[in-house]
Amino acid sequence: MAESRWFRRAGPGVAALGAVALVASTTLGARLAPWQPPSCVGVPHVAPGPSGAWYRIDPTIVEGARTGQRLTVGSASAGLAHALDLEAESFAAGPFGGVVLSGSDDGSVSQLSLIDIAAGCAWTIDRSGDVIRRATISPDGATLIEFRVDRTTRADLGVWRRPLDGRGDDERILPPIDPDRRFGPTWLTELSWSDDGSLLAVQSCGEVSCRVRWLDPRTNDAGIVRDPSIGDLVGLTRERLVAHGACRGLPCPIRSVDLGSGTVATIVAAAGQATLVGTDDRPQVVYELDPDGSGIGSIEIDGTGARTLPIDRAGRRLVAGPDWAGSAAGLPPGWVAFGPEGRLPLAGPLDVVLRRITDGRTVPFGEVPR
Amino acid sequence: MIPSERIRWLAALAVAASLGLSVAAPAAAHGPDPVLGGGRFSQNEVLAFRWRSGAEPPSAIKTAIRNAAADVGESKASQAATFAYSSTGANPIGYGTGTCGVNGIGCFTRSAPDSFTMWLREHGRVYDWGTLRWCQMLTTLTNGCYDAETIALDEFGHVEVLDHHDNYADDSDYTDAVVQTFSRTRPKTGWNMHGFGPCDTATLQVQYDIPLASSPVSSCLDLATVLTLGASSTLLGDGGVVTFTSTLRTITSTAYGRLSTQWLAKRTVRLQQRPAGATTWSTIATMTSGSPTGSYTASVALHTTADYRAVFSTPTTEGLRGDTSPTVGVDVMPCTYICPLSVEG
Repeated sequence: MAESRWFRRAGPGVAALGAVALVASTTLGARLAPWQPPSCVGVPHVAPGPSGAWYRIDPTIVEGARTGQRLTVGSASAGLAHALDLEAESFAAGPFGGVVLSGSDDGSVSQLSLIDIAAGCAWTIDRSGDVIRRATISPDGATLIEFRVDRTTRADLGVWRRPLDGRGDDERILPPIDPDRRFGPTWLTELSWSDDGSLLAVQSCGEVSCRVRWLDPRTNDAGIVRDPSIGDLVGLTRERLVAHGACRGLPCPIRSVDLGSGTVATIVAAAGQATLVGTDDRPQVVYELDPDGSGIGSIEIDGTGARTLPIDRAGRRLVAGPDWAGSAAGLPPGWVAFGPEGRLPLAGPLDVVLRRITDGRTVPFGEVPR
Repeated sequence: MIPSERIRWLAALAVAASLGLSVAAPAAAHGPDPVLGGGRFSQNEVLAFRWRSGAEPPSAIKTAIRNAAADVGESKASQAATFAYSSTGANPIGYGTGTCGVNGIGCFTRSAPDSFTMWLREHGRVYDWGTLRWCQMLTTLTNGCYDAETIALDEFGHVEVLDHHDNYADDSDYTDAVVQTFSRTRPKTGWNMHGFGPCDTATLQVQYDIPLASSPVSSCLDLATVLTLGASSTLLGDGGVVTFTSTLRTITSTAYGRLSTQWLAKRTVRLQQRPAGATTWSTIATMTSGSPTGSYTASVALHTTADYRAVFSTPTTEGLRGDTSPTVGVDVMPCTYICPLSVEG
C-alpha cells in the first residue's frame, strides 16, 4: 500500500480500518495461495510488532480425513495475511509480539518455525527426530519451550527448553507426567503462561479431565493440580488456577484452585466458553453465561465481583483460548475479542471486534488501543 | 450395589439437578448416570438436527450419526427426547475442529429445552497418543479405531441430560452405560454399543419418565414400591365371592424424579391366603392388571375365614423392590346366617 500524506494525517484509527479492509479484500471469498515464507536473516527473535497479530489454524479435510492443516497468520493493523499449509500433525502458538510459532511434523522430523508477520519471513528454530507436539516462547522472548513425545511409542518425553537464539543446549525442565488411570491416556498437552508471565502451565488432558503442572522457570518451583473434576485450563495466576470442570460439553462449571492449599472452589456453576483477562488491577475471568453465548459475565478469580457485561448485538461470540477458538490474537490488557462462532474468521479480522471489559468500549479489531 | 447406595445416588442426582450443576455428583461406584445441569427437553420431543454448514461430516460419519439417533429412539426406554435428521433442523452437527476445547473425540452443547449442538473430531486428527481413526472411515476394519455410532450415541446421551457413568474400579460394569468418560476402541468390550445401557436409561427414566406404566424400570435402579390391598367385602357367607383390589406404585420420593409415585401396571401381583389359626401363607391367585392404571384384581369364592395379602416379589429383570400389602381379614359365616344365592340354589 502506498502511504499518502492524507493517510499519515488520518491517524492510527483510520489506518487500522484501512488495514482491515485490505485484509478482507485479500482473503474474503478466496482461499489464500499457500505461502512459503523466505528465511529471515539474523538471529531468531520475537519481533515487537505490529499490533493486532493473529493466527487461525484449521484442518484440511479431504473426503472426511485430515490431510494437513492450514495456518493463516496476519496482522490487523499492518494489513497482512498469509496462509501456510502444514502437515496433519501440526500446531501454532502465539502471537508473541509480531511473530507466530508453528510446528509441523512430516512423519520423520518435527520442525519449528518462527514466523515474522510484518517482515514476511520465518526462521526454522528447531528440528527434531522426536515429535514436538507443542511449543511456546517465554514472555521475555528468550526461551523456547517444547513438549515432545517419542516418535515410535508416542511416550511422553517431558518438557524441554532451549534458548530461542539457538545458542545453547536442550534441557528437560519437566519429566513425563505420571500415568494416572483417573485421567486415562493423555490426548492433548498444551503449554501456556500465567497472567504475569512468571509461571509456565503444562496442561495434560485425558479424554475429559486435565492435570496442570506449573513451573517457575527462574526458581524451578513447581506444582501440580491433579483433580479429576478439573477440565481445560482457563488461566493461571501465581495464586490460582482457573479451569472449566471436567465436562465433555457446555455448559460447564468454572473452578478456581488455590495453588497454595489445593482448595477447589466453583466460581461459576454453569458457563460457556471462558478466558482469563489480565487487567491493570486484578485478572478477570470473562465467560459466556450459557452455551450459546447469549450473555457475557465476568468474575474475579476468587469468585467475587461477578457482573454481567453487554452482549454483542451482532451475534459474535467470545473468542476464548486457542484450544477453543483454534485461533488467537495479540490483545492489549483488559480487552477481549468477539468473533463469528467465537473464532477469528478466515475472512480476516473484519468481523472481529474488541471490547474493553471495564467500560464496554468496543472497537474494530485493527484499532488496537495503545 | 446395595439399595442404600442407590438411594444416595438418586438423592445426589436430584440435588445436582435442582442446583443446576453441570458435572457429576460425588462419585460412587456404579449406579444411574449422573445428570448434567441446565434442564431437560420436553418429554418425547423430537429434536431435529442438520449438518453444520462448512463442516459437514463425510457420508460414512453421517450414516453413523443417523444410526445413533435411531439407537436413541430404540433404546431410550423412557420419554426422553428423540433425534431426527432434517435438512432444516435447528440443531447443527459438525465435523472437524469445532469448539470442543481440549475434549478429545467429540463434544456438545445443550441449551435445554431449546437447542443443542454436537461436533465429532475429524478422522486423522493427531493426539499425543496417536491418530484418531473412525472405524466407519476405514476400508478395512482394524483394531484401535473408534466407532462413530457409539460416540455419537454418547453425545446424544449428554444432550438428553446424562453425565458420565461411574464404573466399578475394575470397569466390569462398563457396558451398563454408553455414556462413559473413557471411550473404548475396537475390539475392547463396549467399543460398539449401539443402544443405551441400563444405567443410562435409569437416569433417562428418572428425568423423563417411563413410556408406559407397564414399561420395565431400568435394572440399574432400585425403587421401593407400595402395594395396597382391599376387599369388596370382609363379611360374607360360605362360597361368597370377594373381589380383592390391589394397587402398586413406587413410593413418593423427590429422589425418584418422575418415577416418584409411579403407578406400575402389568406386573406380577399374587394374592395370598392364611386361614384363621394357620401360620403360613399360600398363593391362591395371580391378580389381573387392570384399570385404573396400577390396579390389580382377583375375584375369589371363599369358604373359610382367613387373612389375605398381596405380594409383589422383587423382579429379577427390573429395578423395583418388592413389597407386601397389609393384611386384610375376611370372615366367612356359616350358611345358616348368610348364604349367597349360588349356594342356596
